Amino acid sequence: MTIVTIVKQVPEAEARVRVQGGALDLAGATFVLDGMDEYGVEQALRLREAGEASEIVAVGYGPRETEQALRTALAMGADRAVLLEASGLDDPLTVALALAEVVREAGADLVLVGGKQADWDSAALGPALAEALGWPHVDWATAFTLSGQAFESVHEIDDGSETLRGSLPLVVTTQQGLNEPRYPTLPNIMKANRKPLDVRPAATEESRSAARSYAVVERERRRVVLEGDASSAASELVRRLRDEAKVLG
Amino acid sequence: MDFALPEELRALQRTVRSFAQREIAPIAAELDREPRFPWPSLRAMGALGLLGLTTPEADGGAGLGSLAAAVLLEEIAAADASHATIMSVTSGLPQALLVRHATPAQRARWLPRLASGEWIGAFCLSEPHAGSDAAAIRTRARRVADGFELSGTKAWVTGGGEAHLYLVLAATDAGAGARGISAFVVERDQAGISFGAPEAKLGQHAAITTEVRLDACFVPLEQRLGTEGQGLVMALQALDGARIGIAAQSVGIGRAAFDAALAYADERQAFGVSVREFQGVGFPLADMATRLEAARLLTLRAAWLMDRGRRVTKEASMAKLFASEAAAFVTDAALQVFGGYGYSREYPVERYFRDARVTRIYEGTSEIQRVVIGRQLYRDRDRAEAPGREAGA
Ligand SMILES: Cc1cc2nc3c(=O)[nH]c(=O)nc-3n(C[C@H](O)[C@H](O)[C@H](O)COP(=O)(O)OP(=O)(O)OC[C@H]3O[C@@H](n4cnc5c(N)ncnc54)[C@H](O)[C@@H]3O)c2cc1C
Repeated sequence: MTIVTIVKQVPEAEARVRVQGGALDLAGATFVLDGMDEYGVEQALRLREAGEASEIVAVGYGPRETEQALRTALAMGADRAVLLEASGLDDPLTVALALAEVVREAGADLVLVGGKQADWDSAALGPALAEALGWPHVDWATAFTLSGQAFESVHEIDDGSETLRGSLPLVVTTQQGLNEPRYPTLPNIMKANRKPLDVRPAATEESRSAARSYAVVERERRRVVLEGDASSAASELVRRLRDEAKVLG
Repeated sequence: MDFALPEELRALQRTVRSFAQREIAPIAAELDREPRFPWPSLRAMGALGLLGLTTPEADGGAGLGSLAAAVLLEEIAAADASHATIMSVTSGLPQALLVRHATPAQRARWLPRLASGEWIGAFCLSEPHAGSDAAAIRTRARRVADGFELSGTKAWVTGGGEAHLYLVLAATDAGAGARGISAFVVERDQAGISFGAPEAKLGQHAAITTEVRLDACFVPLEQRLGTEGQGLVMALQALDGARIGIAAQSVGIGRAAFDAALAYADERQAFGVSVREFQGVGFPLADMATRLEAARLLTLRAAWLMDRGRRVTKEASMAKLFASEAAAFVTDAALQVFGGYGYSREYPVERYFRDARVTRIYEGTSEIQRVVIGRQLYRDRDRAEAPGREAGA
């Protein structure tokens, strides 16, 4: 059984991001494999270690630099990678159509993809990909197991958690809590450079949607650091919540 | 001439940086206040391959070169100096010596366990009365049936009592000075080896340092490493590589202090402006950055030469000398940028300052590095004039 794990490259969470002339300037930022996707890669590896999968293919969509994130997935243990190279700011529906092609071609029965993407936060790619494939999807998985074609998935809901059972094929969106992703070992990072990584232009298939423009919306955080020992800081916090923010009665 | 690190090395660096910042940096302050040998994080480092960096893959190591080792050691040191010291010793000294001199049986017995971090290795050269003057050590190895009996006291052993393997230098021929010293491997649970209490130190508290006492400790012949009488020569040669490690560690500690100072000088206000606006703060930042950069370049170049099979005695000493002095300067200047807060345990700079200080002392003091460099200058000149003469012979 083949698992496709979708991988995106995003700025590191602590990266300094500048806005210049209405656009993001990411020149100084370090890019990493999206943390939410990383849970998917890790889960794929665990499913393979449990004997439920034979091949893991990491698939990325984006600029050439996405190769770095794919190499990370390969270093963690994916067998091969495919990069659909695209330079534009494509919307999730368009991206999903292109990715679906690769999923079919790989003959995969399971797709793991981050619940949200650390940069766009759209939470749309997973469901859109399921739609493009005509497969069911379960979202925000915090536990996921397979037994042959049968899956069991858990996710949190407002008043507890929900367990879903069914059978493959399936798209799963992953999130924090699903697992603790491993660090790739140094020898595996070196070996990742020799694993197959197939780069091809993203198909320019007709999509039903297109992003017309993007704008940066800046929002200043009102960050206050309360000084002093724990008890005086706590009193000050209560005072502010009550008198200033008026969220306490 | 290409000063860019190869992409595959940068990939290693990214992973190790993120590991070090997420798993090690957050525990550094606590380990400083409540010292203990950091086994859980050492195990995690071992799993990644960080405790056997230059040990070949066939022996269970990561099979990397000195350049990669220096780059990665800097990352660990920037998170915590104690972890970097333990890492530098176990892979740079016992493992490096085993890789070079061990018999196949010795390799198989010790290297996989050390390279995986299941075991930590320690290096026992210094003694209470002799550090710089290594040929003056008094630990004796007396020939007995089937092996040797070691007696003496080793001082300042990084990892003493915690490490499983001790690479011990002892005199097999007391009259022969530097040529009468041999190397032995002693395991922790052997009879006749015991450990002192951890030394109370200025810094690097988690890199426990103790005396190691050898009391008629029997060591079978299979535990002598290399040729009899060649121990000190082997050790000094291994120190060339290990000094590059200490240089990289110094750069890492200095970098952590510099980054903290750079951020603080931007945030801290005085006289209505960020203190970075004052030349009296901006100039030291410029000097710190310049010395760190120079230290890193000397370090990486020494490592690069070593990867090309060159004897790097002089270059390693230069890197160690300059980088450790730079780390002392940078951590002191960073503390000054923090003003009173720099002196407080609430901020990490006073720890960087204390941790950096010993880089000018261990693996050869700054004075000894100058002795080595000074001697090597003439050796290099004479060799250049009279080609064919052996270096260091
Ligand atoms: C935290 C820590 C960890 C250590 N870990 C280890 C370890 O794991 N294994 C190990 O074997 N050792 C270890 N050491 C010991 C360390 O290598 C020695 O302390 C160091 O080599 C200096 O030796 P010494 O302390 O005997 O000083 P000395 O040799 O007594 O030197 C005293 C002073 O005289 C100067 N001096 C000596 N000779 C000369 C000379 N010819 N010219 C000019 N100046 C000179 C020195 O620079 C120094 O300033 C460690 C030390 C420390 C502090």
